Amino acid sequence: MTASTAAPALAPRGSGLVAAVMSALGGLKILLPFALLTAIWWAIKIEAQLSDQILVSPAAVWNAFIQLASHGVLAEYASTSLRMIGISTVISMAVGVPIGFAVGVNRTAAHALEGFLRFLQSISGIAWLPLAIIWFGFSQTTTLVIVIYSLIVPIIFNTMVGVRAIPENYALALRSLGAGRLRLVTDVYLPGALPSIVVGLRLGMGYGWRALIAAEMLVRQGGLGDLIFGARTFNQIDRIITGMICIGCLYIIIDRLIVQPIENLTVARWGLLRK
Amino acid sequence: MSPGSVQRTSALIAWRLLPAVPFAIVLVAWMAFWVIFKPNRATLPPVSDVVEVVWTRALDGDLLQHILASLWRLFLGAAVGIVTGIAGGFVAGLYRRVSDFLNPLIVFFNAISGIVWLPLMIGWLGIGTALAVFLIWNTVFFIVFQNTVLGVQLVPEVYEQGIQALGGGRLETIRTVTLPGALPYILTGIRSGLGFGWRALIAAELVGAPNGIGQMIFAAADYHRSDIIIAGCLIIGCIAIAMDRWILAPIEQRTIRRWGLIIDVAKEN
Repeated sequence: MTASTAAPALAPRGSGLVAAVMSALGGLKILLPFALLTAIWWAIKIEAQLSDQILVSPAAVWNAFIQLASHGVLAEYASTSLRMIGISTVISMAVGVPIGFAVGVNRTAAHALEGFLRFLQSISGIAWLPLAIIWFGFSQTTTLVIVIYSLIVPIIFNTMVGVRAIPENYALALRSLGAGRLRLVTDVYLPGALPSIVVGLRLGMGYGWRALIAAEMLVRQGGLGDLIFGARTFNQIDRIITGMICIGCLYIIIDRLIVQPIENLTVARWGLLRK
Repeated sequence: MSPGSVQRTSALIAWRLLPAVPFAIVLVAWMAFWVIFKPNRATLPPVSDVVEVVWTRALDGDLLQHILASLWRLFLGAAVGIVTGIAGGFVAGLYRRVSDFLNPLIVFFNAISGIVWLPLMIGWLGIGTALAVFLIWNTVFFIVFQNTVLGVQLVPEVYEQGIQALGGGRLETIRTVTLPGALPYILTGIRSGLGFGWRALIAAELVGAPNGIGQMIFAAADYHRSDIIIAGCLIIGCIAIAMDRWILAPIEQRTIRRWGLIIDVAKEN
């Protein structure tokens, strides 16, 4: 009886309701695999009777998360990592893109440096870590140097490649119309190279983020890598898994909320890259 | 020979030698820095120390042992990663429901692939080859998987339908259309995956292995032997370049020539 009277009242807002239900289902669809995974994890924990030294239950991880979060520890470690990757990205872009441009516009310079940059890119930042520790000690400077190195090489390289790939006719056309060097950079080289620069940024972020976590593990001056590696010493599996989940979520946020929108924007604007 | 052609050949030689110039500049700057400032050998060794350390370590077989240990781990981890990545990628690529369901998990675990697992896995696998292999597998798998899925999904359905209309079964379709169509993507994935895998290996060996190139440089830091560290870094670069240039790039090139266009998606990770 109540249902039949309620139905007409809901009808006008039916489309809104459907949309709400659909989006709730969408959220559920994302969460469902994780719920399943957690259930399997919990079942293994109980069935195999693993000790907390080997695997903790999801509830223990949740408790560790609450404990770390409420004491502000998690926020501190996470903000250290975020600050590091943020500073490194800004410096690498500010320095790497101009260098890439300077090299890219000159055919001889580009040819000369290509092999060298490839070689540098082949030596991962983390391999230089022992040397950086000798030079700068166990400090955040060491971490910063390693992460910037990991980030800047792909950025320089891809900026250079992007500039080289621009058909020379475009630049010539603008120049014959009387454009100066600056106009050439802003109207031809920058838009033309941008998709490639973003590819470099994305690759650099992939390398840089991993280098950051690894460097934090060894330098032990704060950061999420320090958190999970420090927890290893005391066999605190709950803290390790909490840290891993945080690292994953942060990287997804960085990638989805910052890097990908920039990429989509350049694709939409200049339509050179395809997804 | 006319003077013109001499000029042209010398220009060509100069052009060929050009990539060596940055290396030469760094080398000369390093030597000059050493002569002028006389830094502490532990901070920055002279070039001769680095050459000597490579020479002596190469002679006593020590270096080769570390390199072989690292390459063996890379081979094991990459082989497992490539096989599981392609197999999983095909299943997810062919069945839309599977890939839709798995996608959130893939995105999440891709974000923590590699070195992030180290602290947890040291407890489970101990220090050694198993740990390094797991980390490499973990790194390579997601890159190969994602590229395979993309490659499989991008094969135009018309081709598959064409084979089916001619009476080809499901396996036949996969073998003759889907696999060749997806192959360029798969190879790009393998190439980029190995780049990430090699990095993961070095990082893993720093703390999680009794030997290997990564362990060699990390152990050297304890004695402030920066000559060994620099030598190790240069060797790491040379091996990665050699692998890419002589093994992966030719395979990829051949596939592109055989099956056509390739689009750069490997760097998506």
